[in-house]
Amino acid sequence: MSAPGADGTVSFEPRIIAFVCNWCTYTGADLAGTSRLPMAPNVRIIRLPCTGRIDTLFILKAFERGADGVIVSGCHPADCHYTSGNYHARRRFAIFRELMEFVGIDPRRVTFSWVSASEGGKWAEVVNGTTERVRQLGPFETYPGRVRSAGE
Amino acid sequence: MFVLRVNSMQDLKELSKKLLEQKQVSAILGYEHGRRGPRPVFVTEVADCERLVFDHRCVHNLAAYLSPRRTLVAQLGRLAVVVKACDARAVAGLIRESQLKREDVVLIGVRCGGVVRDPNGAEQLSADNVAPRCLECDKREPALADHLVGEPKPPPPGSASRDARLSEIEALSPGERLTLWTSLLSRCTRCHACRQVCPMCFCERCIADKTQPTWIETSPHARGNLAWHLTRALHLAGRCVNCGECERACPAHIPLGLLNRKVARVVAERYGYRVTDDPSTPTPIGAYRLDDEQEFIQ
Amino acid sequence: MNTRRTLSTADLGALVGDLIAAGTTVVAPIRFVDQGRASIEYGPVQSPDEMDLDGPQPSRSLKEAVFPPTEVLFRWRQAKSAVEIEEVPVSFKETVVVGARPCDAAALEILDRVMGWDFRDELWFGRRQATTVLALACTRCDESCFCTAVGLSPASTRGADWFLTPVEGGFEVEVLTLKGQALLERHKARCPEAEGSTTKRVADLEQEVRAHLDVRPDRIRAWLETHFDDALWKRLALRCHGCGACAFVCPTCHCFDMVDEPDGIDGGARRRNWDTCQSALFTLHGSGYNPRKDQAARFRQRILHKFAIYPKRFGEVLCTGCGRCVRVCAAGMDLVAILAEIGRTAAERGGSA
Repeated sequence: MSAPGADGTVSFEPRIIAFVCNWCTYTGADLAGTSRLPMAPNVRIIRLPCTGRIDTLFILKAFERGADGVIVSGCHPADCHYTSGNYHARRRFAIFRELMEFVGIDPRRVTFSWVSASEGGKWAEVVNGTTERVRQLGPFETYPGRVRSAGE
Repeated sequence: MFVLRVNSMQDLKELSKKLLEQKQVSAILGYEHGRRGPRPVFVTEVADCERLVFDHRCVHNLAAYLSPRRTLVAQLGRLAVVVKACDARAVAGLIRESQLKREDVVLIGVRCGGVVRDPNGAEQLSADNVAPRCLECDKREPALADHLVGEPKPPPPGSASRDARLSEIEALSPGERLTLWTSLLSRCTRCHACRQVCPMCFCERCIADKTQPTWIETSPHARGNLAWHLTRALHLAGRCVNCGECERACPAHIPLGLLNRKVARVVAERYGYRVTDDPSTPTPIGAYRLDDEQEFIQ
Repeated sequence: MNTRRTLSTADLGALVGDLIAAGTTVVAPIRFVDQGRASIEYGPVQSPDEMDLDGPQPSRSLKEAVFPPTEVLFRWRQAKSAVEIEEVPVSFKETVVVGARPCDAAALEILDRVMGWDFRDELWFGRRQATTVLALACTRCDESCFCTAVGLSPASTRGADWFLTPVEGGFEVEVLTLKGQALLERHKARCPEAEGSTTKRVADLEQEVRAHLDVRPDRIRAWLETHFDDALWKRLALRCHGCGACAFVCPTCHCFDMVDEPDGIDGGARRRNWDTCQSALFTLHGSGYNPRKDQAARFRQRILHKFAIYPKRFGEVLCTGCGRCVRVCAAGMDLVAILAEIGRTAAERGGSA
């Protein structure tokens, strides 16, 4: 994505995919929207029932298909709608994050957060903070075999 | 003190004959001399027990044959398996994950002072040819065993840390690391030998073989290869016994063990877990603690 | 036409330099050192110094130069209900292979049979035509080599456009084909005509290889054709992991899978990828039935295909005795020992049953 500036120059606008859990973060994001909090438009949300459902392959798939950054967000520990999904997810992401870093996927491109249904403000911060950070990092062109659909 | 010098091959052979004669097992899974060094063998006749050997070239992890997916092996019936301390960890893993019942297998533990990386040719074990899994190994015999054979052996030669290369890679910038791994994994032709020889890769239908949708592309290009190897390393978190068979089997000579060693280190540092040959220890990935570290989560 | 020439080592290097400068892809054995271990692989060289012609056999075969592990066959794009197929523009770059092993050069010719059989594989033949093979006589072998048992030898010229025999100071070159002649015309200055004759140094090597396996392929085939249900297959397959490493390093294995890979909602590419009959999924039907449901059936298939089925259809064995399958096998399956056992069994029972 790129947006022409006032003087016609084109600056890089990162494309960010967010995998969020339905019960907490998705609802929190909805609250951010209804509260009219200003948020960068770069984030596309994909709703899952729980962070426990988020396979690490989703993160890789997002990068494969042209994402420059990824957000993974869910309920705080002890608040999981399914009791323990986020605990399993926490261990899984902890390990995978270090593995990704080891092979050279810059950890600053992936944001993990706990955002509850009432934390609209926090969601806006996560969105804006991630967008700015990934904008500074630039497009993730070095992801091996990265594919973009025609027309983008 | 009276020390009985036992020829390790003789006590192994006698034990095997006894197990077969008494019909405690239908077959012995051990090692025999092949034309190019020792290799796995299934012995079903008492007379063939003379073929059983064990020496420093017996690098193969025989636990790989115990997966229930191996229908031909399962047809043989109850087995006795020769296991080094490292191999016993894989057997423990299979028991722990309900792929094998402890009472369905007889474990012949063998005392080991290290093995070579390549079973073909090596006359003597030395620091130059020792298998990476032996570096820093402090277990001379398995605790998980029904019998123990062999003479006591000294620790393996070689003082290099098998994790030295991890630190070298971690010192690179993310861009350099990505370039390195993309280049290493570009040699991969997706033969899946790494998966086939691994005792802990026993899924009936591997995620890499699933379509509709295809999460891991099967083509041996950089994109598919990265997804495959990262996923396999993650799925082995806390389960990989670091036997190095994947690396030995890889026809493209890719240092796969580095990924598994990195994950093992993360699991050890975060969850205090090291793979063990005690089947009753739970794996770290099926489990969780309420106070697990989450410094990386906003 | 005197087809025998000499080529000094220096001139070979200069010839390679000329080819690279002219934009030709030069593929040769290269030494890779990783984690302190050296392996030799065929690969493109950017300068003559990268070539290692004295090392052991490259651990992967030459088939990659003509038949890559993955390649795009065509792309598609969908607009509403119409689908457009885009032919993938394939240009077959001029390639010269320097230092091909005789077992690898011969394999290409053996595979031409099936690649041109009921459907002409234009990708295969396009690359074949664009590739000039300079084979090099073997100066070393190991206990896994058995080329002599399948009708070849360390000095076999089959499949070669030039055949190089190492001599003091360089090589003696035999130019064998029109393609080879064309290459010679372009680089005549480097290769003066040979004087006198040279006794081939590799005579000793041939005896050595012959000692590894003494078996007649027709005896093997006869036994295979009549022992489909033999207990041998189960016994051997117990040890086999079904990993397929053998098929992937083999110069004559050529099976492939086809996949459609979307690159978005509206399009993608169809690719072909190397595959192996040793995989459990290879013959798995959509219904869930698998005619080769255990490793015994799959292992038998590989041996049968190479030593019975291909010979029956094309008149020659689908194996060049390179020994890579033996070297790479993590479980110690040893084709040399297996063929020797079948040969012995066939002889004991009076040849063909």
